[in-house]
Amino acid sequence: MAKKLSRLRGMFSSGNVTSRVFERQIRSSPPGASVNRARKFYENLVPSHTLYDVECPDHCFRKFTEDGLFLISFTRNHQELVVYRPSWLTYSSSTDSSSLPRRASRFDSFFTHLYSVNLASANELICKDFFLYFPSQRFGLFATSTAQIHDSAPSPGAVPGVPSIDKITFVLLRLDDGVVLDERVFLHDFVNLAYNMGVFLYDDLLAILSLRFQKIHLLQIRDSGHLVDARAIGYFCREDDELFLNSSSQAMMTTRTSQDKNKQQSREEDAENNGLQHRSSQQPNASDNSFLSGIKQRLLSFIFREIWNEESDNTMRVQSLKKKFYFHFQDYVDLIIWKVQFLDRHHLLIKFGSVDGGVGRNADHLPAFFAVYNMETTDIVAFYQNSAEDLYQLFEQFSDHFTVSSSSPFMNFVTSHSNSVHALEQLKYLKNKSNSFSQFVKKMLVSLPFSCQSQSPSPYFDQSLFRFDEKLISAADRHRQSSDNPIKFISRRKPETLKFKIKPGPECGSADGRSKKICSFLFHPHLPLAISIQQTLFMPPSVVNIHFRR
Amino acid sequence: MAEELQFQMGSILGDLPSFDPHNFSQHRPSDPSNPSRMVPTTYHPTHNRTLPPPHQVITTEVKNILIRSFYQRAEDKQMRPKRPASEHLAGEHGNKHFRASSSSSAQGL
Repeated sequence: MAKKLSRLRGMFSSGNVTSRVFERQIRSSPPGASVNRARKFYENLVPSHTLYDVECPDHCFRKFTEDGLFLISFTRNHQELVVYRPSWLTYSSSTDSSSLPRRASRFDSFFTHLYSVNLASANELICKDFFLYFPSQRFGLFATSTAQIHDSAPSPGAVPGVPSIDKITFVLLRLDDGVVLDERVFLHDFVNLAYNMGVFLYDDLLAILSLRFQKIHLLQIRDSGHLVDARAIGYFCREDDELFLNSSSQAMMTTRTSQDKNKQQSREEDAENNGLQHRSSQQPNASDNSFLSGIKQRLLSFIFREIWNEESDNTMRVQSLKKKFYFHFQDYVDLIIWKVQFLDRHHLLIKFGSVDGGVGRNADHLPAFFAVYNMETTDIVAFYQNSAEDLYQLFEQFSDHFTVSSSSPFMNFVTSHSNSVHALEQLKYLKNKSNSFSQFVKKMLVSLPFSCQSQSPSPYFDQSLFRFDEKLISAADRHRQSSDNPIKFISRRKPETLKFKIKPGPECGSADGRSKKICSFLFHPHLPLAISIQQTLFMPPSVVNIHFRR
Repeated sequence: MAEELQFQMGSILGDLPSFDPHNFSQHRPSDPSNPSRMVPTTYHPTHNRTLPPPHQVITTEVKNILIRSFYQRAEDKQMRPKRPASEHLAGEHGNKHFRASSSSSAQGL
């Protein structure tokens, strides 16, 4: 009977922390579930105590690093980086009172200031929403930029309609001591820096998408701290394409050989060869980019071949091509890369869309396309429209493989609808509630490609342990509208009791009741410690609260 | 053909067979009073249907399951039996192009 009960209750037979510790001494966890079992202790150790309105320096607190060693923040003027070490408070008090002594409930009891480094010079500002962590060497990647220019003069190779920034600098910094290790500068370019959208880190590979020049820059972060250029995908697909093209002298010869080299040799492509040759022969000067870029050629030839292979009769093929390919040819040619992520070391997931939606956030209603690109063979493997049910099926089943992070093992335990029954239930509920399945698919696929390091690995966001209102708080590090009521975290085990509450702050007086308050939460990855920052949009001083386990 | 050899193994292990007669040769029975030859029953397969292919090397698949699905779907599309042209359409072969060009203006994505 006792065995049956323990099986019903999961890995531990009791909810009591002491009995769990004793049980841990004698029983090992089921295979592959040691992290899950360790996380169950977070049901017992919760950040239930809050210190409201802690007096602290007026910085923009950005994030805890995923190993919990550093708290990253920036000064208000966005020119300096300030790094703290999260620690635990220690104090001694002579009285027996249950409340903390005043000297203990301070910001520096929890956070030790390590250093401040100036990253941005006079006219530059640090992008406070950009930060990537390289955990194996504890490097941090930051970005500074000058002001954005919207109507910039068109320059060769630039996509018209995309704004330009005079100078973007990516700075690689060793977080242990604040030493700047390397920098990479992009001039008159545009990279979407907000919330790491235009940059993706996988292992030691960094992909920076230059929206303006439609290039994916691949860099490698070496252990020594150097940023090494590996490849630039866009106009050229292979490293030696440029060399090859430059070595051919005549313009017409260049046309012929580039088409031969950049496309795979197959007889079905003669028709397209003729089409493109005809197009490019109307502009005989090869120097002013009459060619489509390498990656666009790959994409068009893939779409062509897919449509070609659907039919076996040549007449049907041509008819199908006219309807599906040539009619939309210019639309396909005008597609630009919006966003990129790594799927593994050799494959990229690229999102294409029209020029209008590249920069703005409200691009949900515009058509978009996804392509899987193999960097080694320079082939497109798959191409989907953003309403494709096939792609949605893969997204539903294997969402964890989209949010790749090969760095730390416990980052794989961030809840998603592929690894949690509860999250999957919620997704299915939304699916059944929606009126149109293709609209639902489009809405879900908006989150692809994923932004790097945008979810908190804190076990308090684990849906198998706690239930909470996702609209008020979640693992994603965006700020959200603050609510007056405290945010409840309810245990998933029976009995489903309230475990702890996070209240973003004492309410302001009624005079301020109209002003919108936004709130952001920073949870430490493994300590029962969290910071909530509440600020009104127009008044800079923010209220900082610390939630921890007393 | 099973080769029955003298056996008398320790009672803990019972009469489990082996494929190699020299296995369990180091095994000592629990009570030393009855010494035995310690050779277990051996069985050898009479066919080679279950042998692994020669020079087989098992390695982990480099591509993760998501990427494998992408490649699999691409292959399925290639392998899918293509729609053959029906007789009905073949009959109007002559004026097919003419019809298509006049009606293509209204097509959209």
